[in-house]
Amino acid sequence: MLIFATSDKGGTGRSVTSGNMAYRCALSGKHVCYVDFDFGSPTAGAVFNIDGAQHGVTGGGLHSYLLGDTADPERIDIFSRADRLSLRDRPPGSGRLVLLPGDSGGGEFPSSRELVRRCATLFDELNSEFEIVLVDLSAGRSYAAQMVLAAARERPEIPARWLVFHRWTQQHIIAASSLVYGDRGILETGVALGHDREQLLGSLRFIRTAVVEPDAQGLTAEQTAWVNDCNAALQGLARDRGAGKLAVLGSVPLDPVLQWREQLITNRDLTVSRIANPQTAEAFEELARLLTDDAAWETI
Amino acid sequence: MRVEPRQQLLEIWQAVIRHSYPDDKWQWGGRDGSNSISDAEQLLCILGPATEIDAFTIDEPDRMAKDVQAVLRPLGGLTDIPLRLIEAVDEYLQKYTDESGTPIFSCDSYFGVSADADDKTLLPRQRNQPVVDSFAISLSLSLAAIGFARQFRESVKRRAILDKLDDVEARASKRLTAAMVGLLRCFTVNIFDVDSRDGRALCRTVNQSRLSDRRIVTLLHKELREIRASLRDVTIGSGAGLAEDLELPDRLFECGWGWGIIRDAPAITTRADVGEQQEGMAEPAPYIYFTVVALDAIEALFSERTRLLGLLTEEQQRLAQGLQLRWDLTQSYWSKIAVADFGGVRWPLEDIPWQRTTEKETEYFSLHVSSIVVQDLVRKRARDTDLDRVGRVLEELANRSRITRRVFGGDEAYQLHAPGFTINLNGSDEDGGPRLTWVMSDFAPLLLQRTISLAGLLGDPELRGRMLTLADQIWAHLHDRRLRDEDRRGLWDQPAQVFPPFTTEYDKPSWYYTKRVVDGLMTAADVITSPPLRSTSLTEEATYLLSEADHLFDRELLKGSPSGGQAIRGELQELRIKLDRAWAIRDGRPGTAVALANEILLRLDRFAAARDDDVDGGF
Repeated sequence: MLIFATSDKGGTGRSVTSGNMAYRCALSGKHVCYVDFDFGSPTAGAVFNIDGAQHGVTGGGLHSYLLGDTADPERIDIFSRADRLSLRDRPPGSGRLVLLPGDSGGGEFPSSRELVRRCATLFDELNSEFEIVLVDLSAGRSYAAQMVLAAARERPEIPARWLVFHRWTQQHIIAASSLVYGDRGILETGVALGHDREQLLGSLRFIRTAVVEPDAQGLTAEQTAWVNDCNAALQGLARDRGAGKLAVLGSVPLDPVLQWREQLITNRDLTVSRIANPQTAEAFEELARLLTDDAAWETI
Repeated sequence: MRVEPRQQLLEIWQAVIRHSYPDDKWQWGGRDGSNSISDAEQLLCILGPATEIDAFTIDEPDRMAKDVQAVLRPLGGLTDIPLRLIEAVDEYLQKYTDESGTPIFSCDSYFGVSADADDKTLLPRQRNQPVVDSFAISLSLSLAAIGFARQFRESVKRRAILDKLDDVEARASKRLTAAMVGLLRCFTVNIFDVDSRDGRALCRTVNQSRLSDRRIVTLLHKELREIRASLRDVTIGSGAGLAEDLELPDRLFECGWGWGIIRDAPAITTRADVGEQQEGMAEPAPYIYFTVVALDAIEALFSERTRLLGLLTEEQQRLAQGLQLRWDLTQSYWSKIAVADFGGVRWPLEDIPWQRTTEKETEYFSLHVSSIVVQDLVRKRARDTDLDRVGRVLEELANRSRITRRVFGGDEAYQLHAPGFTINLNGSDEDGGPRLTWVMSDFAPLLLQRTISLAGLLGDPELRGRMLTLADQIWAHLHDRRLRDEDRRGLWDQPAQVFPPFTTEYDKPSWYYTKRVVDGLMTAADVITSPPLRSTSLTEEATYLLSEADHLFDRELLKGSPSGGQAIRGELQELRIKLDRAWAIRDGRPGTAVALANEILLRLDRFAAARDDDVDGGF
């Protein structure tokens, strides 16, 4: 199954959240690959702590593949290559977790028929090998998004789902909604490429990141009352903009570890060093589960 | 108020779902079996609050509150919850529609059978008899269901579900029309001779100042003149065409709803499809109990929600006008009789227990009449003194029915609650079969609801406080009457727990009772949502305090204090903000404004006190 991860603004925690989701998916026994299509800034290597691929690889990455310079884009097995002890050694019962990095200094490039064809071929291969193919797109309306929409259109038999990440603030809600419903947004672009609007919308969900829960610890009574009100106002705004609860797959709480260290939250962070909040890991686990839970993707 | 409607309603919802949805299927029935009335009551325990109280919204899944979602979890996820409820409504509508498409309003297992009947087997014709309770509850259920389906529609995209919602809405609407037609055929005007039993009883009830009967009749005629005139406008259904009899000087009358469709009530001509209009068998006499049931239900037709959501079709609006006319008439009639002031020291209402024209008397009738009077006072925005008099009646009723007083040895007053007060449904045995009876047992929840709505009307904090205390006492009583065993915990009713002499233990919940408790809590939620009482004297006090604070504050500024350093500047800025806030909320929440003003004054005084210390130190 193809999962496309996108967001309108930068800094939404898209890469770190989808990286964590991929990681949790793999821990649950699924074979997962993470495809870094954030061409302007391919930093997935940093999320997975891959030495030498912090900002993409030098040559042989996804840019090179799409431009036809290489037939086999580089693959990095996270559980053996991660430069982080707690990530090393694939835990028993877990699936494979493979990163396809971009090339450093690659930049964006306009979509073309040829590119779309190569992209679709890549999807074919990855889909036959992995249960989850998580494609991390760059923020905003990108050529990459246009390309994968076109490639997905050419492969209607591969199930595809869209995740739109946004922070839980007024501006982020408006921006995320416009990325989906607005001019040259996902729906408009998709429909122009031959997608069915309702079907595309039905396979799209929002993910709220860095959410301050009203019952979070450390808030005073006054702050809680206020946060509750803000929350209700934001819920209303999200509903009006088509990003209400029914269109949401899940949310990730604000977490200091994610803030300070944009990396995976491993079980070591939870049990040994105890720097991460268990709620955050639970949120990732739940999201990972929901990715393939058809009930969560049913529209009523 | 110690009644916490949100908490309590959530607990009830949890109990209702636990009991009604045990294995992924709605399970109908309770103590009174499964029939068109009990099943609707069961559904309304959930649908009532869900459609009337904003915090309990479930038809917009996006807006469902976390705690609400948590208690409804057994129904499924966000979107499953409204779907499962719509399915239950759908099942209800199918169950109570016959093959020809006519909605069924039969009493079936709801009514009991007269104890002195030789053969207690009901004839099919009796079981199928459409009754006011069913029309009334169908009205509430249909309105709730139509609104619910319509609101939920907004969140739905799938064709199949949309079709289902449309279908449920259409059938609920048909049931609504049929229920309205039914209620128009249950209304009745009973005209009797001044010298008859009924006439003498009515005069006795009204006569609180030992006037002659002749004089009372004249005064009554005068008092009821407008109502008599308006009764001429009743031209369709039962109770029509009686204008000439009404004008005779030796006649008195009563109006309201009978227990079912009145015998020989003509069919209503309507453009809408309501199926067959069945023949009735009820005697043409109003019953105060069924009148209250009908009045309560009809009120929802003119509610803000019904208007805003446009729940009624054109034809239904026409029928609603007919019902509103009868509602107005009945309301005014009973209210006028109850508080008729013919020079006596007390109102007929205060002469407890109320005696009916049938010469039967019980506290129950007093409660029903008070209940109508409270509704009428709401409409008239009555004065506190009048409201207080009704409040005292409610207090005494709570006392006499042993809610606020203990049951003593040999005391039988509690029997009003359990087993309840039996009324005969006259006319039900005229075509054979035993006579039907109805046991009224909703005294406590009805009293709670009326006490809370009365409290909401009172402007005087002391009087209001007294009513709320009474409400708390009734609530405590109700709370103790909840079933306690595992499967039914949190539902009603187990009177043996509060009335030791009553030994019957029930093992099934009564939806009749539980639904009425839910109604009481909904009224409580409504009262709490309205803005707090405002007292003019408190507003005045706040104004004086704030003026003084304003003045002292300005003086600090004139002294040049803000230039005296960071600490004092910060303090003054904060005081300025508090002052502005206090002025802003003075009208709406004067008490809070006073509290803020006190704080500001104290803090300003610290400057003054510090300066006084200078003097003390003798520089």
